[in-house]
Amino acid sequence: MRSRRTWAAVVAVLVGSATLVGCSGDDSGSSEPVVVEVTFADGDVTPKGERVEASTDQPIDFEITADEPGTIHVHSVPEQEFDYGAGSSTHEITVDKPGLVDVESHHLDQVIVQLEVS
Amino acid sequence: MDGVTLAHGIGGAKDLPISTELVVAGAVAAITVSFTVLALAWRTPRYDDATSGRPAPGWLRRIVDAPAYRLVLRAFGIALLGYTLWAAALGKDSLINPVFGMFYVLLWVGLVFASLLLGRVWRAISPFRAVTYGLCRLSGADPATGLFRYPARWGHWPAAAGLFAFVWMELAFPGADELGSVRVWIAVYAAVMLVGGALFGYAFHENADPFEVYSTLVAHLSVWGRRGDLLVVRSPLANLHSTPVRPGLVAVVSVLFGSTAFDSFKDSTAWLTRVQSSEHPLLLDNLALLAFCLLVGTVFSLGTMATGVGKDVRRRDLPGLFAHSVVPIVVGYIVAHYLSFLFVSGQATLIQMSDPLSNGSNLLGTADWSVSYWLVLHPSLLASIKVLAVVTGHVLGVVAAHDRAIALLPKRHQLTGQLPLLFTMIAFTAGGLYLLFAA
Repeated sequence: MRSRRTWAAVVAVLVGSATLVGCSGDDSGSSEPVVVEVTFADGDVTPKGERVEASTDQPIDFEITADEPGTIHVHSVPEQEFDYGAGSSTHEITVDKPGLVDVESHHLDQVIVQLEVS
Repeated sequence: MDGVTLAHGIGGAKDLPISTELVVAGAVAAITVSFTVLALAWRTPRYDDATSGRPAPGWLRRIVDAPAYRLVLRAFGIALLGYTLWAAALGKDSLINPVFGMFYVLLWVGLVFASLLLGRVWRAISPFRAVTYGLCRLSGADPATGLFRYPARWGHWPAAAGLFAFVWMELAFPGADELGSVRVWIAVYAAVMLVGGALFGYAFHENADPFEVYSTLVAHLSVWGRRGDLLVVRSPLANLHSTPVRPGLVAVVSVLFGSTAFDSFKDSTAWLTRVQSSEHPLLLDNLALLAFCLLVGTVFSLGTMATGVGKDVRRRDLPGLFAHSVVPIVVGYIVAHYLSFLFVSGQATLIQMSDPLSNGSNLLGTADWSVSYWLVLHPSLLASIKVLAVVTGHVLGVVAAHDRAIALLPKRHQLTGQLPLLFTMIAFTAGGLYLLFAA
């Protein structure tokens, strides 16, 4: 008897918290680009792993200032990469699936930003 | 080597953090359930390994216990190992080589889900048990015990070391995604298994094979159990109760939980920016991985020992005696942590397995499949499943600990003696949820 009562209480709690959970809303996507400023100088890069929030399919503009050319890898699915030259340049990408996406310079072995795409 | 780090090369994008509402709901549920169990649950131990469970249906027992069935599973395991070695030895050092997926996804993660559903999977398919059988036949020894008796005080310590070696390579070693590293790891593992098996027989595999220990531990949360030789269907709690207490069990559980927590933690912005600004990122990662495992083991040991005990129980035996109760919490968190990874990368691995040498072949007919991202495209559902897994694990853990406490502790310490462990479990669950939220 005791065990049945326990389980009933446990189930009640779980159902209660499940209803609490049901009400998380989504934000609708925006088409205004998110701008990420990246600076490469003296074999180093800033930022170093900050989070950047974006929506799926929202343009993400990387405004890059670099002292030498290189490649940036975007670990989305599928993966993307783009080359940048020395000087200033802007590169736009989009990510079409929700997730946490690392943007890396493999040359420097650094995560530049993590895109929090929802 | 194409320079892509493993977690990305194999996993692509990672899960979004779960929402605050979910974390709060999960934590509240965990805490409420904990005290509900303490207040309302049974007062005499409920599980008895000698009587629990119903015999499995006759037809199922006949199949599972048939020598031919065992032989088929063993052959499957040997084929799987052969395929892995083939791709590892002759395949290309590229992330489309299925070795990486078979090693880091199917073996490490797939095995957990398979054992949860099907029982002691690695024990059934382990190719090293087959080799031990052959070697013992040659040497005239009994395969069950080998040439020497496995020292009981070693217990699961070698398995804990092996599991740590795996998570170290996966999480804190920079060459994790290089074929050479995987080759060396597999070679060392295989060599230890061969020698250990030849010396100590199946007892070695049961105690010391990291994957068998992991798989069998998780299998204690499945509905499939053995009462003597009889295949029985049991409630996961009754099955969990039958987990043998061996030295090193706490270490195994601590490595599994600590390393998974570290895997979440290392993606948190705070840690990522700190490590990347440091002169010694590798050292930091290594220390943090070790610290997470040690912290889990220490907190758990203290939580179980902080109670009054009777004359018949030694205090320092308590962490081992309660270790089974933290298994569901660990497994719930591992399921939450790896679910989408298994879903996406598991499919990718099945596809890559058709082309072990990366020359465009389609040996298994899976090469033209495409990966379904269904689960990833439903992030709210994914997050809810993850929190549900964590909370379910917590509930099972608390009930298992309660049942063990009333069996072990003297009457007057039963209520107060449970509290420190209860708080420990709440801390583990809340900590796990926090990492799913913050990382």
